[in-house]
Amino acid sequence: METIHLKKNIEPELTFTGWFKNIYTAVKTTLIGLGITFKYVWGRDVVTIEYPEVREELPSNSRSRLFNDAENCISCLQCAVACPVDCIYIAAVKRATDAPKIKTKDGTPIRLDLKQYTIDTALCCYCGLCTTVCPTECLTHTTDYEFASYTLASMKYDYLAPEIRAWRTRIVKS
Amino acid sequence: MSSHNENTEDKIILGDQEVLKSDLLTLNMGPQHPATHGVLRVEIKTDSEIVVDAIPHLGYLHRCFEKHAENLDYRGVIPFVDRMDYLAAMNMEWGYALTIEKMLGTEVPKRAEYIRVLVAELQRIASHLVFFGTYGIDLGAFTVFLYCFEDREEILRLFEELSGARMLYNYIWIGGVWNDITDDQLARITKFVDRFEVELAKYHSLVGENKIFIGRTANVGVVTAEQALDYGATGPVLRGSGVKWDLRKNRTYGIYDKFDFDVAVGKGEKGTVGDCWDRYHVRIQEMFQSIKIIRQALDGIEEGPVMGKVPKIIKVPAGEIYMRTECPRGELGYHLISDGGKTPYRLKVKSSCFTHVSMLPIMAPGQMVADFVASIGSIDIVLGEVDR
Amino acid sequence: MPNTIQGQIVEFLNKSVPGCNAVINAPIAAVGDSSITVEAANILEVCKALKFSAEFNFNVLQVITGTDYADRIEVSYILASFSKNLELILKAKLPRGDKFNLPKINSVVSVWNAANFQERETYDMIGIEFVGHPDFRRILCPYDWDGHPLRKDYVVQEKYLDMVVDPPGKNNTADQMFGKRLKEEIGDPKRVSASWKDSTAGEEEVAKDGE
Repeated sequence: METIHLKKNIEPELTFTGWFKNIYTAVKTTLIGLGITFKYVWGRDVVTIEYPEVREELPSNSRSRLFNDAENCISCLQCAVACPVDCIYIAAVKRATDAPKIKTKDGTPIRLDLKQYTIDTALCCYCGLCTTVCPTECLTHTTDYEFASYTLASMKYDYLAPEIRAWRTRIVKS
Repeated sequence: MSSHNENTEDKIILGDQEVLKSDLLTLNMGPQHPATHGVLRVEIKTDSEIVVDAIPHLGYLHRCFEKHAENLDYRGVIPFVDRMDYLAAMNMEWGYALTIEKMLGTEVPKRAEYIRVLVAELQRIASHLVFFGTYGIDLGAFTVFLYCFEDREEILRLFEELSGARMLYNYIWIGGVWNDITDDQLARITKFVDRFEVELAKYHSLVGENKIFIGRTANVGVVTAEQALDYGATGPVLRGSGVKWDLRKNRTYGIYDKFDFDVAVGKGEKGTVGDCWDRYHVRIQEMFQSIKIIRQALDGIEEGPVMGKVPKIIKVPAGEIYMRTECPRGELGYHLISDGGKTPYRLKVKSSCFTHVSMLPIMAPGQMVADFVASIGSIDIVLGEVDR
Repeated sequence: MPNTIQGQIVEFLNKSVPGCNAVINAPIAAVGDSSITVEAANILEVCKALKFSAEFNFNVLQVITGTDYADRIEVSYILASFSKNLELILKAKLPRGDKFNLPKINSVVSVWNAANFQERETYDMIGIEFVGHPDFRRILCPYDWDGHPLRKDYVVQEKYLDMVVDPPGKNNTADQMFGKRLKEEIGDPKRVSASWKDSTAGEEEVAKDGE
């Protein structure tokens, strides 16, 4: 047999005046609270939005879905190295010497042909480290936020596929 | 879910009277329980409504961050650091960045220091607002939750424009901050703190001064100063017990020595020193102090770059460092051991919530189950930081 | 360095706890904190002396942590004094031991109650047995987990409670195959980002240094 001693919560002794004081403070503080909440009944703007009907624009530097503008990519692999979760797959081959010389938007010569540029969005943690190291600023975060899909395979974005390249007109300005 | 204890011969004395009327009942509170703020399981032994013993079981959110960090380069750790205390990610990042900067000897530009103070104090307000709102819900007050989240939303919106994300910012980098803050955003912060100061006083009189709230929290879950120090409590839990200890004042880091602010301590205004109401009140006062710091930072902010000189591939010289910073929930310490390579050799995180969970067994005995919920809420744990 | 605070602590420890062999480990590259190493057998006396000394009064145990080196395990006690505003990293060296014969050290729960959870975590993660701990169980991993994850040679167990850990069906094998196929197609590992870590980790290093 074991005896367990528990300490009791300290409760102030209840006196006759204390009893009435209790009631008084309870009513008073409740009324103050009700007064504060009552102000919210009228004269307040609605703070929520009705989401599927009303869609909010995210701020311009929101870190949402990634987009790689393959035309300006020089296949430097820096994004893949910086990625902490290793979700960027790049493959490139050396550009043939007799092929016409091409340059990116900012004048960097492209020496490698990009064969594969895929980001597994299901693994991506949206930290933004890949976009900051990109030397030609071709890899950017867009402000799209609705891209749920049914299969894991469809979360893998191949940025050389024509349907994803088609976003370019919408995302890349000038 | 529950089972009878075999040891029926126990004698339980509460205060000075014997209370055991039935067998001890073992009850699992959590892991999926709204009052445990995440996935914490507390095994409580109760005699009808009185808690006799509470045993926390942790690890439901364990990701072994420390092992992750050993395989990541120093910059790549920051997104993972965010995910520890996801309600105060800025403070988590700042602690980590300070640790590496101290080892590298990086000088952080003045403007970046000011921005860090601004975002850290705003984050402290946002984090305490979550505490305030959810604590209200724990005790049955729903209104204040909505008010708090509306104000928090404004801070999160600002952070989203600043860093690009709402919760997991990756904003404070080694050597500075990612983006510069615009004058427009500074003006918005000014406007926000002016409005919020009035609102906060209102919320406090709505909840904190309410008789029912005081009845639920005063004299409940008392932690004395000796117990708090013995268990290694820090932050609002320690200050609520009446110990005046704040790293921002006592071991200054960043540019906190330039600011004038007070350290709030629990005084036992509504009950005993170190009860739930004191811990609540310390947090409310801290929000007012944060507003004070933000105002001074807004006045003092200088023009200039926001990123210091950091090598492209960070290699921390061999050695070790223990750096601690004051986070909304307490002290956050990083113990970094480096062997001179590109990845940390060992990165141990001292989480304050982990320490505070260990105090549940001393707070629980003798309480009603509902008071136990009030006690858990008052230490304000985030399970992402407890389990890491 | 007897004039520094570490120097004073070492002097104090060698005087009050005979045989503890306290020495300062100066920071290697002149950055970071220095620590004090003591004999593992004396850790309890050392901690008691530090806590109850009027001069230092280390009244708070911040954290207990272990580090796995190739030849030893170092257990670090990070102490703080809130009354004197001091900080100290106290270390003890232990042999690595093996799975069935974990290194042993005395528990300091009797000095600070904060050590309770910290020692349980250190046991769970690094595998150090704390002798005299009142409630010695794992804390973050399941109670019947095998191995200690933060050891450098840790391998995840294959089966836990008859369940396969890391079952291939739940593994994202599609990703691994994807990366593998890319590597084979291109032929030049330098031109393919290594998305999965395997025996070709060396090649990834090359790619990293190549920039």
